Amino acid sequence: MCGIVGYIGERRAQPVLLGCLRKLEYRGYDSCGIAVTADGLQVYKDAVRVEALAKSAPQFGGTVGIGHTRWATHGGPSKINAHPHLDCAGRIAVVHNGVITNFRELRRKLAAEGHIFLSETDTEVIPHLIEKYDTGDLEAAVVAALREIEGSYAIVVMKAGEARLVVARKDSPLVIGIGDRENFIASDVPAFLEHTGRVIYLEDGQTGSITRSGIRINSGGREIAPKEDKVLWSANEAQKGGYDHFMLKEIHEQPRVIRNTLAEFTQAEETASGSDLTREIGVSPILMLACGTSYHAALVGKYVLEDLVNIPATVEFASEFNHRKNIFGKPLGIAITQSGETADTLKAMKRVRSQGGRVIAVTNVVGSTASRIANQTIYTRAGPEISVAATKTFIAQLMILYWLAMSNSKADSRRIASLLLELRQLPNRVQQVLDNEGIIAGHAKFLSRYEHAFFIGRGINYPVALEGALKLKEVSYIHAEGYPAGETKHGPFALLGRETPVIAAVSRDDTYEAMMTSMKEIKARSSPVIALSEDGDGAVEELADFVIPVPHVDCIFSPVVNCVALQLLAYYAARERGCPIDFPRNLAKSVTVE
Amino acid sequence: MKQAVILAAGEGQRLRPFTVTRPKAMLSIAGKPILQHVVEAVAQNGIRQIVIIVGYKKEEIFDYLGAGDQFGVNITYVTQERQLGTAHALAQARDMVHDEFLVLPGDNLIDTGTIAQFVTVHPDAVLTKKVEKPSRYGVVAADGNSLLAIIEKPKETESNLVNTGIYAFGTDIFDLMDTRLDIPDVLNGMLEQKRPVTVMETDGTWLDVVYPWDIIKLNDAVLRHVPAKLGGTIETGAYVKGQVSIGQNTVIRANSYVLGPAVIGEHCDIGPGVCILPSTSIGNNVVISPFSVIENSMIGEDVHIGPASVIQDSVIDKGCVIKGHFTACSGEAELRINDEFHMVNIGAMLGTGCRLGSSVVAQPGAIAGNYSQIQALKLIGGRLPDRSYVV
Repeated sequence: MCGIVGYIGERRAQPVLLGCLRKLEYRGYDSCGIAVTADGLQVYKDAVRVEALAKSAPQFGGTVGIGHTRWATHGGPSKINAHPHLDCAGRIAVVHNGVITNFRELRRKLAAEGHIFLSETDTEVIPHLIEKYDTGDLEAAVVAALREIEGSYAIVVMKAGEARLVVARKDSPLVIGIGDRENFIASDVPAFLEHTGRVIYLEDGQTGSITRSGIRINSGGREIAPKEDKVLWSANEAQKGGYDHFMLKEIHEQPRVIRNTLAEFTQAEETASGSDLTREIGVSPILMLACGTSYHAALVGKYVLEDLVNIPATVEFASEFNHRKNIFGKPLGIAITQSGETADTLKAMKRVRSQGGRVIAVTNVVGSTASRIANQTIYTRAGPEISVAATKTFIAQLMILYWLAMSNSKADSRRIASLLLELRQLPNRVQQVLDNEGIIAGHAKFLSRYEHAFFIGRGINYPVALEGALKLKEVSYIHAEGYPAGETKHGPFALLGRETPVIAAVSRDDTYEAMMTSMKEIKARSSPVIALSEDGDGAVEELADFVIPVPHVDCIFSPVVNCVALQLLAYYAARERGCPIDFPRNLAKSVTVE
Repeated sequence: MKQAVILAAGEGQRLRPFTVTRPKAMLSIAGKPILQHVVEAVAQNGIRQIVIIVGYKKEEIFDYLGAGDQFGVNITYVTQERQLGTAHALAQARDMVHDEFLVLPGDNLIDTGTIAQFVTVHPDAVLTKKVEKPSRYGVVAADGNSLLAIIEKPKETESNLVNTGIYAFGTDIFDLMDTRLDIPDVLNGMLEQKRPVTVMETDGTWLDVVYPWDIIKLNDAVLRHVPAKLGGTIETGAYVKGQVSIGQNTVIRANSYVLGPAVIGEHCDIGPGVCILPSTSIGNNVVISPFSVIENSMIGEDVHIGPASVIQDSVIDKGCVIKGHFTACSGEAELRINDEFHMVNIGAMLGTGCRLGSSVVAQPGAIAGNYSQIQALKLIGGRLPDRSYVV
């Protein structure tokens, strides 16, 4: 999901480019950079947010430039791997979105011809290829270079001393914005929508040459008349794909996330590529390290690993573990962090490694710091998550933990086969929860009137209660606490009453009877009860004031359907209270300080 | 023409149980929703700015199409809160369009050629097509290229030229709507005021799903034009013949026999020893266990079919879990939709998320509502409402 931008006009290019890049932040990225023509070619890039880049960058004067936000695929996020990339002479700069499939072969060839490569990216072959074919006509050189390239691309190319940008696209988006004596280029319209709504969509196989005052488009070697379109909607709407908030969009993406992760498992099983390290599970004691929502995923993971692999697992807040004096034995660490940059988790990982323990990182960001510290990294395939409240990445983390447990399971093969069958059905079960959105929104409206709430669960649904409470407090600002149902008698009971609704996650496992008892006790203190329970459970329906029906799944997977329901509950409660759902006060998506 | 407005707010009430969980435009035909066929046809004719009018189960559309980047288009959504009519739906897009634009129904299946000529026409214009049973539609009376009238669902008619629901308009259409709720009424009103409307005929694809069994018919018609593609693994000893498209990471195991036209989605596990006969569509993440035979059927996403099942002329919606020895053989059946009776050749139709025990037999024409649960060894027939338990 890289983003590319370009500007050519009469204003100073640097602030315009940085402004455009900020508008592409929603695509998700880990590094960014710009290049402008001023005294030749000036490049400034780093593995930082656009905001930080803008602050630290020297002021360049040129009026022609390109920019890029990078979501690492080939090579981790680093200053060197960030775009723009240059040729040997540093006179040609390229930004690229897409994947070049034959880059290894091209790189070998070019290196043999004397070209020097600095980064690990696929992109870097493009400027070198262009350099190879450059005889003065930049566009002709780009066309010649692209003939050798296989894969997908949208590129913008610039050359020192030339007031011209050359663009090309195949299977990756690219759009040109037409201004008054200035022109813009971007992956997506929102990047330059504040400057112009007049656009030209470049089609696959076309190249273009863009100057201050002119746009020429070539298709198959012939010049064609550009087709101008007009954009009439606001930038923000487009990115959310119809939804009012990123959080809701991401909640709805979860069936797809589960399906994508499943595809990876089956692929790995099919090719027997599960690495040695995952086979180590069950050999050393397991120590799971995480913060926030990831910590709740780890707690579910503990139940699953202990149940299926039959070994003890310890879960620690990374931030607390770092204050502990002793680490006992040489544990197998499983560190869970969405961003791969959570400072506390990184520190805890280093501690485990320094004790001689091995660490598996579970993260959503390719090439993040966590992946470099770990012995092995398993990536969650959730795609970029914009909403500060984690939803789809949490579900993806659970999927990885299920996979780790199932592929190392000591359970009998019939149980594993039936779990595999259930796992394949899981996307559809989650969809069933989403289909009940209307019911959940209704209960959320009720919940939104209160200032305090308790979430309770037992067994594998205890972490669900914690996660449900966390989601509610972070997006709706309702004070919420998650408790193991059995512990409520030891304190929280003092707080129960008409003004403290209780949300109970009930699962059809051996905690069922105990949960029913807890709910009865709570009802006796006149707290309103919202119960999550299997569709058609008459006993729960009779007891609770409101029921959120969830589909039947094996109880090991009940955290998945229950958490999705609680995400929706939190979302609609926050919406009812008019909260800034995607960006709650005082919170940041990735916590990079201890 | 630079912009298109696609109307996709409708429910498709006659298509239950399949439209309980999705709008009609999201019914899957030959491996993709009807709406995707429409969006692709529009995009391939160079129209990249698309406004989609959504309403009933709009989230299904948001989740699938998003902002449109995957399909090379820019999509913006407008919600029609109550589905009052096509003109009312179009009126919701008033602030989103300018100059001239195309209007298309999102629930009629078209391909690129259908509108290739029409995108160059000047407003106001209506696209027509000759069909066999015109009385279901708005019949178009025309004098050469000019429209005389649109007569909705006439009992008798000489002409078999019908309105496809595809129009070219300018923004002044919004001022001509008055209180009329349907576009054909608006057009008839324009004609009364002596405002000319152009008629253009297409011989391209234009298919409508009216009844649940039309899904099978359309699937068959469209599959013939789906190019062959191999994304997965075909084990030694499996045989794939004809126009077959297989998605990424799908495995066709040994001794399976796949006869095109057929579309098999991504991450499926087929076989060993499974027969897929023409014209079958199989969604993503589907498991078909050994010794099963699937013929001329539509299998949705995330479906599990147990061993030695026979499924003909059937629709199995997403998320069904079917144990072994399920039988849904084709036969003649009389089906009732509202107050009409239809004789059709059909197997079974299962809604979303049904769970069937082993050795269930479905009589021809059996329809099981969404999330029905049927115990082992049961014989089902007729129409079971949603969430039925057969014990």
